[in-house]
Amino acid sequence: MKVERITFERSGGFAGMHNVVNIDPRDLPKEQAEALLERLDELDFDKLPAQAMKKPSMPDEITYRITVETKDGEHTVVTGDTSAPEEMQELIQMLSRIARKQAQNKK
Amino acid sequence: MHKHSGINCFIPPHILKNIATKGTESQKVLAIDTLKISAQMRGRRQALADFSAATFRVAAGGKDRIVYDAKNGSSLPGAIVRREGEAASADVAVNEAYDGSGVTYDLYNDVYKRNSIDASGMRLDSTVHYRTGYDNAFWDGEQMVYGDGDENLPVDERLFNRFTIALDVIGHELTHGVTQFEAKLTYFQQPGALNESMSDVFGSLVKQYQLAQTAAQADWIIGAGLLTANVNGVGIRSMKAPGTAYDDPVLGKDPQPAHMKDYVTTISDNGGVHINSGIPNHAFYITAVELGGNAWERAGQIWYVTLKDKLTADSKFQDCANLTYQVAGELFGAGSIEQQAVKKGWAEVGLTVAGGGPPPPPEPGGCLAALLRLLGAAPSR
Repeated sequence: MKVERITFERSGGFAGMHNVVNIDPRDLPKEQAEALLERLDELDFDKLPAQAMKKPSMPDEITYRITVETKDGEHTVVTGDTSAPEEMQELIQMLSRIARKQAQNKK
Repeated sequence: MHKHSGINCFIPPHILKNIATKGTESQKVLAIDTLKISAQMRGRRQALADFSAATFRVAAGGKDRIVYDAKNGSSLPGAIVRREGEAASADVAVNEAYDGSGVTYDLYNDVYKRNSIDASGMRLDSTVHYRTGYDNAFWDGEQMVYGDGDENLPVDERLFNRFTIALDVIGHELTHGVTQFEAKLTYFQQPGALNESMSDVFGSLVKQYQLAQTAAQADWIIGAGLLTANVNGVGIRSMKAPGTAYDDPVLGKDPQPAHMKDYVTTISDNGGVHINSGIPNHAFYITAVELGGNAWERAGQIWYVTLKDKLTADSKFQDCANLTYQVAGELFGAGSIEQQAVKKGWAEVGLTVAGGGPPPPPEPGGCLAALLRLLGAAPSR
């Protein structure tokens, strides 16, 4: 899977904080990019179900919308911080760290 | 009342109250519904008081709390660290969760005569130290869960403190439990924003009750103390001035509207439940300030009865406006200053209350059919 861009959106949670970041793996430090792409491969991201959210939604759960774009198209997965299956947790944490860094850098 | 209809002609209220407390689950529900209709028909405070006394009589013990420690893991509930009546812990988060759920219990019990979140003495379970770097708190359907904020980052990069630090956060989470047992507001779009607003309203009232503050004295900030000194903001939301709680280069700006003209349509955040809650939040604030005195007394009572007896899973803002107005009339009289204050509260956020006339008559069907349904001898509708 040749990843061109990842869009990571966080919304909800008690604080209702909303942010969206676009991540081009080529802009990341080499090690971080490799770890991220490896994680996406291991998860077989483009085959994950589009909705991985418990219904009805848990009050104040954080919602994540992750879109991975490749040359062949894109795939979006919507999940929550406690709804997400264990194997997705690491990906969410990686993306959260990158998003946080980007927000800090904007400051 | 000459026109006999529904179940009221047949079963004296004291028997209904017995069924409401001792019947099977489905019998209880039907009996309580019937009592509610009866209370609505008699219309006034006494009827509601009778009903409250019957329904909310202490079933189990009183206040019962357990605090657990997830020890930075994600397994719930974690290890027990403090039970009801035990001495304070050396861990500040444990004590905040314990004390905060205690004050929340007290507000509901002392002021609204509600014995815990399910009205039947349900134990209040809280888990602290959930995961690492977890800047959130939530209600998982059975218990409260609190993260420690950004404790894993260098001090100058931290945005959030531990979530137990703000008493109104604790009241907020527990009120999600109350809503789950009462109106069951769907956590999506307007019903979801009402769900959120109820949690903010009673979260704020828990704090005001603890501090013995009047509506004029209260800050009406949700989550004061939760943001670190690195953030330009006073808290997470402002009921007094939605949209002004924070404006920060990293966190962005508080997105809450205070008026229907600024209602935000979005697919994020379950359709903006934490965003558009600013509108009903502000309506409550206006009502409370208009009435003056302690907000938990009259304004809080109107909102509580509306949450308990009137709102349903798919209620929208306009429904909440109409129903709080109706309840204010039932509790304090048509045209009362309380009812006028509710009307003004909603008007200032762009909603005109409708109704206020007599409540709809109970469903037809006859006394025999109603009794048979109540006793389970006929299928419920």
